[in-house]
Amino acid sequence: MKISRTSLLFFLIPSLVLVIFFGIYPIVYNVFLSFKDVNLISYIRGTARSVGIANYSDILVNATFWKALTNTAVFTLVSIFLQMVVGFLLALLFDREFPLKGLFQALVMIPWVMPIMVSGSFFRWFLSDNGFLNNFLTALGWIKEPVMWITTERMAIYSLTTVNVWLGIPFNFILLYTGMQQIPGELYESAAIDGAKGWQRVLYITLPVLKPVIITTFVLGCILTFKVFDLVWIVTKGGPGGASHLLSTFSYSLAFDRFQFGKSTAVLVLMQIIVIVFIGFSNRMKWEER
Amino acid sequence: MLKKTLVWLVLFLPLVVGTSVFAGTTLTFQSYSNPNEQVAQFIQKVLVPEFNKKYPDVEVNYVYIPFAEYMSTILQQAVSNTLPDLVYLDNPWVPQLIEADIFQNIKEQVMQDLGNDFWMDFFSGHRLLTSTDEGIYALQIHTNNLAIFYRENMLQKVGVDQPPRTWAEFAEVCKKIKENLGIYGIIFYAGADEAGTWQFEPFLWSNGGSLLELDQKEAIEALEFVTGLVKEGYAPRDVVNLKDQGDETIWFMNAQVAMMVNGNWEFGWHLLPDVLEKMGDVKVAPFPVPDAGMRSAVLPFGGECTGITTADAEKVKYSWELIRIWFKEKLDEYYANWTGHIPTLASYSTKIAAMKPEFEVFIKQAEFALPRPPMGGMGKYPDVSTELALALQKALTGSQSPEEAFQGAARNIKALFPGQEYEETKNFVRQTLMEVLERAKEK
Repeated sequence: MKISRTSLLFFLIPSLVLVIFFGIYPIVYNVFLSFKDVNLISYIRGTARSVGIANYSDILVNATFWKALTNTAVFTLVSIFLQMVVGFLLALLFDREFPLKGLFQALVMIPWVMPIMVSGSFFRWFLSDNGFLNNFLTALGWIKEPVMWITTERMAIYSLTTVNVWLGIPFNFILLYTGMQQIPGELYESAAIDGAKGWQRVLYITLPVLKPVIITTFVLGCILTFKVFDLVWIVTKGGPGGASHLLSTFSYSLAFDRFQFGKSTAVLVLMQIIVIVFIGFSNRMKWEER
Repeated sequence: MLKKTLVWLVLFLPLVVGTSVFAGTTLTFQSYSNPNEQVAQFIQKVLVPEFNKKYPDVEVNYVYIPFAEYMSTILQQAVSNTLPDLVYLDNPWVPQLIEADIFQNIKEQVMQDLGNDFWMDFFSGHRLLTSTDEGIYALQIHTNNLAIFYRENMLQKVGVDQPPRTWAEFAEVCKKIKENLGIYGIIFYAGADEAGTWQFEPFLWSNGGSLLELDQKEAIEALEFVTGLVKEGYAPRDVVNLKDQGDETIWFMNAQVAMMVNGNWEFGWHLLPDVLEKMGDVKVAPFPVPDAGMRSAVLPFGGECTGITTADAEKVKYSWELIRIWFKEKLDEYYANWTGHIPTLASYSTKIAAMKPEFEVFIKQAEFALPRPPMGGMGKYPDVSTELALALQKALTGSQSPEEAFQGAARNIKALFPGQEYEETKNFVRQTLMEVLERAKEK
């Protein structure tokens, strides 16, 4: 049966409506707001003036913005690298049979199923000066003074990154593990007959065959990590002294601590540009791969 | 055909009947007080039933929005014309929302039903916050401020019979507790938000420091004192990462600290009678002062206001009736039984102080309490407050010296005000502060 072009368009309407109202409209409206002097009063009264690129120039000379940008880069890249490495190693481990495999697999998934409010609150206590980690290390005699995991500007972002690695491992693991399940067993059997050792099988079969899955996991992971907000907000609120702000928390703080919605949306627009550039770059990588 | 008509009737009859039954007016009262909390219980169990005696056909719908989402919700509602009819909200937000035109002017109703004497009975700070030259836009229901909660037995164990009154005594007591009991002397809240600023303001203002002159000696001294508490190990460094002020009480209840800076609302929140009975030795002392000659610290006041946000004349009438009942008929009952906060009206303060001795310290301090937004440039206050809270964290974590942190914050704050506005605001704030400080120093 041949379906007419008009009918096809008709069936597209629900998706188009969703994309336009919940995808395109907020983005366009954000861009619009980023060129206006929007604060609490002018937003409600509808009297926000156009300020050209002033919000952007103010943001670009703001030291906290650059700190947040650097933090976001460190947080995203380090998280993704470690999550993928650990996720891959776990996927390799679970790609074979061993006793209680199902139970261990469920345990690996725990960080993912736990509500972020719970894990975030737990880590705020766990990493505090008087928290479990410091008490444990002191009891072992490894430290004399508490380590300031989240109470110094220098350490906070690295502690948060470490927590995020833990939170993101299940996501990487499950995608890579599922990908590994699709690799035909014959490939490994042939390699074994040819005398390939374990690491050679991983290097010359698993990794090349898994490359598209690895790229997809990397891209999805980067996008998801780039926009992390809740973990940082719950554990440090971007502090101390604004030192652990990511772009997302910095933007939120501008909007709801300071009511500077114009500047806040300018940060969001810059975030969107970064994501678009990144997606364009990764699409090109995938294209070249094909 | 008849069968079909019957089916339609069966389907639509309940709808028609339902609509006619619920055709009365519905009033929406929006608040961030959890439905199980005292204020919400008072609204639902006392205020609304009393209102319904006069207006049985008007349904009052109590809508709860969590505090963290409250302001963003009001913002969305304001721009989409879906504001509730009546709101309950934190006092620092009021001046900006008055400027944004979301409240109805209720001056006429206040003067007619409550009278000018009643209005003038509000402490001046509450009047300043909820009114302009043109009108009255909200009424402050209750207030609160900060004091020192302490464990009497712990202080006695280290040979301290009286709670500290001055900063010097305060540091001395903290030192004794640390050295003899091996716990922290004090805990306060220093998160990078408004609550962090709110807990620092008593130190700042009592020492003569102004939010608009953070690079001055008085402000830097106050920051040095607070920073010193953490540096000496009298307070935990975790003060920068506490979830909220309620977190302090958890430390306090667990005997990890001997004293805490907290507000009277704790008596209606964590420190309920059964908890107090179990702890057995919780006492409250006035906020410490830098100079032994001062009668009281100068503090910010907190608390909630209510205002009418509907433009519908009929709903304005009903909304005002709810406010009128609260303030004219039920205020005694509210302060006596339904809140951990203290009165905003002078005449009620005396009554409640006699009735609830645990509030006495807070009620006495209320006389020296200042509204926050006017002391930080009104509409600029959220920005000013955030700058201070960030500087406080930088000093507490040692990434900057108190002087560097406040000099940086002062530069940023100055840049928020265009041209002459900074000087004018600075002078107004200085003058207001000096007036209260003078009173606090009077013998």
